[in-house]
Amino acid sequence: MSDTPAPNSTPAAAGEAAQIIDRGYRSYDGPRTGLPGSIRSVVRYSVRHTLGLGRAARHKILPWLAVVIALVPAVVFVGLAVVLDIDMIEDEILPDYHEYYDFITTALFFYCAIIVPDILVADRRNGMLQLYLSTPLQRWSYLASKALAVAVALAVLTIGPVLFLLVARTIEGSGPDGLIEWIKIFVRIIAAGGAISAAFTMASLAAASLTDRRLFATIGVVVLLWGSGFATLALVEAADMSEQVYAFDLGGIADELKNRIYGVEGMDPFGAPESRDEDAFEPGAGREQLSTRFVVAVNFAWVALGSAVVWWRYRRLALSR
Amino acid sequence: MRLYDPRVTIVETQALTQRFGSTVALDALDLQMQPGVTGLVGANGAGKTTLLNAMLGLRVPTSGSLTVLGFDPQRAGHRLRANVGFAPERNVLPDEMRAVDFVRHLSEVQGLPRGEARNRASDTLWLVGLGEERLRTLGTMSTGQRQRVKLAQAIASDPKLVLLDEPTDGLDPVQRSEMLTLIGQISRDFSINVVLSSHQLEEVERVCDNIVALDAGRLVACGPISDLIGAGDGITLELVDVAEPPGSVDAVEAALRAGGIDVRRREATLALRGAAFEELCDRSRDAVAAAGARIRRLETRRRTLEDLFEDAAR
Repeated sequence: MSDTPAPNSTPAAAGEAAQIIDRGYRSYDGPRTGLPGSIRSVVRYSVRHTLGLGRAARHKILPWLAVVIALVPAVVFVGLAVVLDIDMIEDEILPDYHEYYDFITTALFFYCAIIVPDILVADRRNGMLQLYLSTPLQRWSYLASKALAVAVALAVLTIGPVLFLLVARTIEGSGPDGLIEWIKIFVRIIAAGGAISAAFTMASLAAASLTDRRLFATIGVVVLLWGSGFATLALVEAADMSEQVYAFDLGGIADELKNRIYGVEGMDPFGAPESRDEDAFEPGAGREQLSTRFVVAVNFAWVALGSAVVWWRYRRLALSR
Repeated sequence: MRLYDPRVTIVETQALTQRFGSTVALDALDLQMQPGVTGLVGANGAGKTTLLNAMLGLRVPTSGSLTVLGFDPQRAGHRLRANVGFAPERNVLPDEMRAVDFVRHLSEVQGLPRGEARNRASDTLWLVGLGEERLRTLGTMSTGQRQRVKLAQAIASDPKLVLLDEPTDGLDPVQRSEMLTLIGQISRDFSINVVLSSHQLEEVERVCDNIVALDAGRLVACGPISDLIGAGDGITLELVDVAEPPGSVDAVEAALRAGGIDVRRREATLALRGAAFEELCDRSRDAVAAAGARIRRLETRRRTLEDLFEDAAR
C-alpha cells in the first residue's frame, strides 16, 4: 500500500466532497399545485408550442414570420426616425397607433389560420387530450387553458408592436402629453389588443374544434375571417343591404371595435353615428355607421358563439370507448 | 414508504352499468379491488377500457355507483385524478417532444411544482430504463421505449393508483417480461397500487395479486389470484396415440365422458375435472387399460385463468 494519503481521505474532507449523484425514484410528500398549477403548465406549454419554442426549426418558421410581420415595420419606422433625426409625428414617419393595426392584422390572419388550429387539433390526434383529461384538468379547464394560451400568443402580436411604438415615441419625446394621456393610450392599446385577440382566438378555436384535419381547420378560419368580410361587403355594397350586415364580418367588426376604443376621428363612441359620404367607396367604410353599442355587443356575441361551439364540440367528444 | 390498510378497498362498484346505444359495455358490475397489483382481464371488447375510463371519470356510467380511492369520479374527478396515474392503450404520443419534457410536463399538469417535476422526470425515466434515452424525441423511439415512457409519465407524480391499459401491447417477449418486472417493482418497492388491463392471461397470472375478469361486460371473477387459480383442479392426462388399436385416445375420452367426467381435450392431452383426485386417477387408469392406450404423463392439474373464462362461458 502507498504511504501517500489519498485526496479527501479524512472523514471530514470526504463528507464535504460527497454528493448524491443519483437520487433515484422515490415517494413524494411535498406540496402539490392543484388545478391552478395544471392550468399554468398547459398554458406555458401551449404558448411555447405555438411559438415553436423547444421544437424543431421548421416549427419556428411560421410563428416567427408572423411576429416579424407584426413587429418589424414598427422597428423600421422607429429606426428611420431616430437615424434620420426627424420628428416622427410632424413628418408623419410613424403611423398612428390605430393605423399600425393594418400590419398587425396581416400577421394575425396568418397566425390564426395556420398556427392556432394546431393547438387543439394536435392534442386530439396525438393522444395528449386523453392524457390531459386523466389529470386534475376537466374539459372546461383544459379548454380555458388552451384559449388563454392562444390569447396570450395573439396578444404578443396585437399588443407588443403598438406598445413598442408607444415606448419609442415616449423615449423619442413625441409620445402622449403627460402621464394621464400616456395611461389613456396604454389602456387603449391593451383593450384593443385584448378585444381583437379574444375575437380571433375564439374564431380559430371554433374552427379547430370541428375537425381533426389541420387543413380543414385552416380553411374554416379563412372562411370565418376573410370570407365573411368579402361576403358582407358584397351584400352591403352590391345588394344594398343594411350596414348591420357587417356584424357578420368577424375580422371587420373586431377592427371596428378597435377604432372605437381609440376614438378615431369621425366616430363618436357611444354617440350618434356620423353621416357618410355616399359617393366615396371605401371597403367596409359602412361599419362606421354602426353604433358603438352595436359593435361592442356583436363582438361579445362572436366570442360567446365561438366559445359555445368549442364547448358543444368538446362536451360531446368521446375519448375512447 | 406509505402503508395501506389491507382492508382498504381501492375500487368498488355496485351494479355499475355502461351502455352505448344498444350495446352493454358493462353489465351491472359488483366488484372490489384490493391494494396491490390488480389484473383487469378479458378479451378485446370485454369492457376493460370502458371500466378504466369510468374509473377516471371520463365516462358517465349509465347507472350504478363507483368509488375509486374513496372518491366518486363524477363528483370529485379532479381530486381523484390528482392521485391517479394513467397510461392509455393508444400508442400515439407527440412525436416531436423529448421524453424528459413529456414526462415533466405531464407531472406538472398532475400537480407537481416545476422544479420537482423536472427532477422526478429524469429519475423516473432512469427507473424505467430510459435514463440514457431521456433526451430523445418520442418519434424516434421504438414501441417498447414508448410504452416505458407512458409508464414513466403515469408514475412520475407518485400517484396512489396507476391505471395501465394494455402496457405490453406491441412488445416482444423479452420487452414484455421486463415491463412486467417493472410493474411488479413499482407496486412492491414504492407501494403504488396498479390496475393492469390485459388480454394476456399468462402475464396477469405472473404479476398480479388480484384479478378482475370480465367477459362481454359481465363479471367473471374477482378476488385474490391465489384464491381463484393455482389450486389443484383435477388432473392432466397425456396419452400416447398408439397405432394399435387405432383411435385409442378417442376411446379413452369417450369412456371418461360416459362416466360423467368433465373432459377438455387438446390433441392427446386431456384435462379431467368433476371428481375427486383419487377417483379421477382410478377412472383414467381403467379407461386407458380398456382402450389399450399408453400414458405419457399424469399429474395434478393447476387451475388457470383460462378455466375461469371457460367455466363462465358454459
